[in-house]
Amino acid sequence: MADVLVVDDSNVMRDMIVACLRSLPNLAFTHATTGLEAIERLSLKKFDLVVLDLNMPDVGGIEVVEFVRAQDQLRALPIVIVTTRGDESSRTRALDAGADRFMTKPFTPDAIVAEVQALLASGRPTT
Amino acid sequence: MSDPVDLREFVSAFVTEAAEHLEVANSKLLLIESAARGGQPMLRHVRDVFRALHTIKGLAAMVGVESIVTISHRMEAILRTADQASTALSLDTIDALLEGTRAIEVRVKQLADGLPVGEPPASLVLRLDTLDAEPEAATRAITRATRLDPAIAQKLSAAEHEHLATASAAGQRAYRADFFPSPARAEQGFSINRVRERVSAIGELVKVLPLSVPATEHAPGGLAFVILVVTSALPAQLAAAVGIDADAVIALDAEVKPEVAAESDAVEDELIVNEPARRGIVRVDVSRLDEAMDRLSSLVVSRFRLSREAVRLAERGVDVRTLQTLLAEHSRQLRDLRAAILKVRMVPIAEVLDRVPMIVRSLRRSTGKSVRLEIDGGHTELDKAVAERLFPAIVHLVRNAVDHAIETPDERARRGKPEEGLVRVTCTEHSNARLVLSVSDDGRGIDRETVARRAEVEVPATDAELLDLLCRPGLSTRDEVSTVSGRGMGLDIIRRVAVEQLGGELAVSSVWRVGTTFTMTVPLTVSIVDAFTFECAGQRFVVPVAIVDEIVEVDEGVATRLAGSKGNVRVFFRRGESIPLLPLEEVLGLGVERVGARKAIVVRRAGEPIAFAVDRMLGQQEVVVRPLEDPLVQVPGITGATDLGDGQPTLVVDLVALGGVVRMVRGAAA
Repeated sequence: MADVLVVDDSNVMRDMIVACLRSLPNLAFTHATTGLEAIERLSLKKFDLVVLDLNMPDVGGIEVVEFVRAQDQLRALPIVIVTTRGDESSRTRALDAGADRFMTKPFTPDAIVAEVQALLASGRPTT
Repeated sequence: MSDPVDLREFVSAFVTEAAEHLEVANSKLLLIESAARGGQPMLRHVRDVFRALHTIKGLAAMVGVESIVTISHRMEAILRTADQASTALSLDTIDALLEGTRAIEVRVKQLADGLPVGEPPASLVLRLDTLDAEPEAATRAITRATRLDPAIAQKLSAAEHEHLATASAAGQRAYRADFFPSPARAEQGFSINRVRERVSAIGELVKVLPLSVPATEHAPGGLAFVILVVTSALPAQLAAAVGIDADAVIALDAEVKPEVAAESDAVEDELIVNEPARRGIVRVDVSRLDEAMDRLSSLVVSRFRLSREAVRLAERGVDVRTLQTLLAEHSRQLRDLRAAILKVRMVPIAEVLDRVPMIVRSLRRSTGKSVRLEIDGGHTELDKAVAERLFPAIVHLVRNAVDHAIETPDERARRGKPEEGLVRVTCTEHSNARLVLSVSDDGRGIDRETVARRAEVEVPATDAELLDLLCRPGLSTRDEVSTVSGRGMGLDIIRRVAVEQLGGELAVSSVWRVGTTFTMTVPLTVSIVDAFTFECAGQRFVVPVAIVDEIVEVDEGVATRLAGSKGNVRVFFRRGESIPLLPLEEVLGLGVERVGARKAIVVRRAGEPIAFAVDRMLGQQEVVVRPLEDPLVQVPGITGATDLGDGQPTLVVDLVALGGVVRMVRGAAA
């Protein structure tokens, strides 16, 4: 069983992401509605993958990635950015900060399933 | 690989969430606009508007509504530039952005109604595209709060620094409070989201930053959240909200300088935007509540059947006392459940009134009048159905007040009034059951003599007579009357909403040259029932679905006339039961009996079937039942009246009570 943290301030968007990923076996989903909550949850429990929005109050997705990558125990946590901000500078900033994948909305269900599957299968150590 | 997921299934969820974000965007844009008039940039609200539009854009892209993506994308670009450069938005830009939110609103509505979604208006797109980068760059010196850790200070934007530094000018103070998350604290309700909500409730949250700290017992996650807040609350209150000791709260500004009046407060006061507390709120589509109510109705019907069976058992000599107790208990539970569902339908009045500032704003622009709006909504809650019917009436009254009652600035000056007119909307709750909503203005008042002359009647002596006169459709639709009299059109429609649809009252009081107040008193809830509509003797009636056993086709020629009966009681047989059949028009004294194929509505009174013959079934719909309170029109078998949407009152018949009439007839016949 892999634990996936889905971070987006839009309820509908989180539901859509979970609906897309539900077809993959053995995934358990936890929701976080803000970047702050994501950091809080990641500091208290081990997750196997994070699906992260960029645009959120107080602490945006890129700041979450920066914070996560600065923590020894979270350095290898797979992170998929899912954002409407499809511009090249956002992509560069997110990947530079340490995100593993960068997807722009709108995405197709198959696309996100493929990315998540690939990341989980790459078997990166998450501890 | 996977089951296909159709993201279009999320359209209705999108509609609900988009409406929420649009509400945020509109109310923040209005705040920014009033602040901009006072020369204040209100940068912190710009980001909220940006985020709202950004979310709308993303969702619209996922559900494939390109025109909303196009509009929100352009608006978002303008807002991002302003946010990043810390520049103030010009009034023209704010106006264009408000035009944008309106255009999105229209398209969301089209989507909700299942209509084709319109292309983005070319003029709007052009306007948004050609808005220059704001001319005024932020050249103002940014004051920095001194007592801030440099590591934290460097993570704040210019607007955030300014917010902290200017706290004392607004009579508030800036504080830092650190929150250390842990599973134990989460269990006590101290998670970062909850802490954030609680702090927002007592002050303005400037920023929350994560900070790595050595993992200790106190900070098991090796994490602290640094909360920066501007508030007039005491450090102890802030500490309680964060769940820490009061001495752990650090003041960031040393001295409080009270000499500058709180200009921003004055500006914000103009639009009392009661932000509804969003804590723990679930938004659901009203149709889901209606569905719950429907399910409950069928539960009530099957309970009817259950008690009928209990009666039959008792007739066969079975001891049903325990069963009866259980049934009585069950009834109570059903009533409680019904009350609980009705409670879920309640919405805060603020949700209705939040949209009024937008209307006044656009009226200000279209009429060129200077008008101040005061809203005192209180915390009353009312049924969604009432709120939906009330809103157009409020809009009408406010529009009339600005359009027709408030004089031009010149005229006001001549009359010795302040140039700025005042429109006030107030709501109070009366003995937990009625909402008293008034819209008043300090405009020209209603000239009774002119109104009377136009209507060719005597000058009304009382306010009630004046209202009757104003509600005459012929009078109120003539625009020149409205400008002279100070009243616009459509009062008859407002009265119909208040009185006929909601079972309330409309009153007016007006003093020539001083002002006018319209007061609507409506129930907080209405009883809404699912009902069959039918026609009998040329009139329409409704009957609640819950009391109808079945509807059958009968040929009265075939039904046997009940031997010895004086009236027209016939009997027909169905599933081995003999059912008395009564022409409804005869019971109600509406005229002669028709013979031939008709519909019969079968109800049960104390388990006994009774059928009423009617001419035609028209359909099934939800109706708002207004009880007939006037003792003169209280008739057994008529529970109330409803408006099916055509303005004509339609009677709600209680066929079960009418069955009593049949009983008497049968008794006489036996």
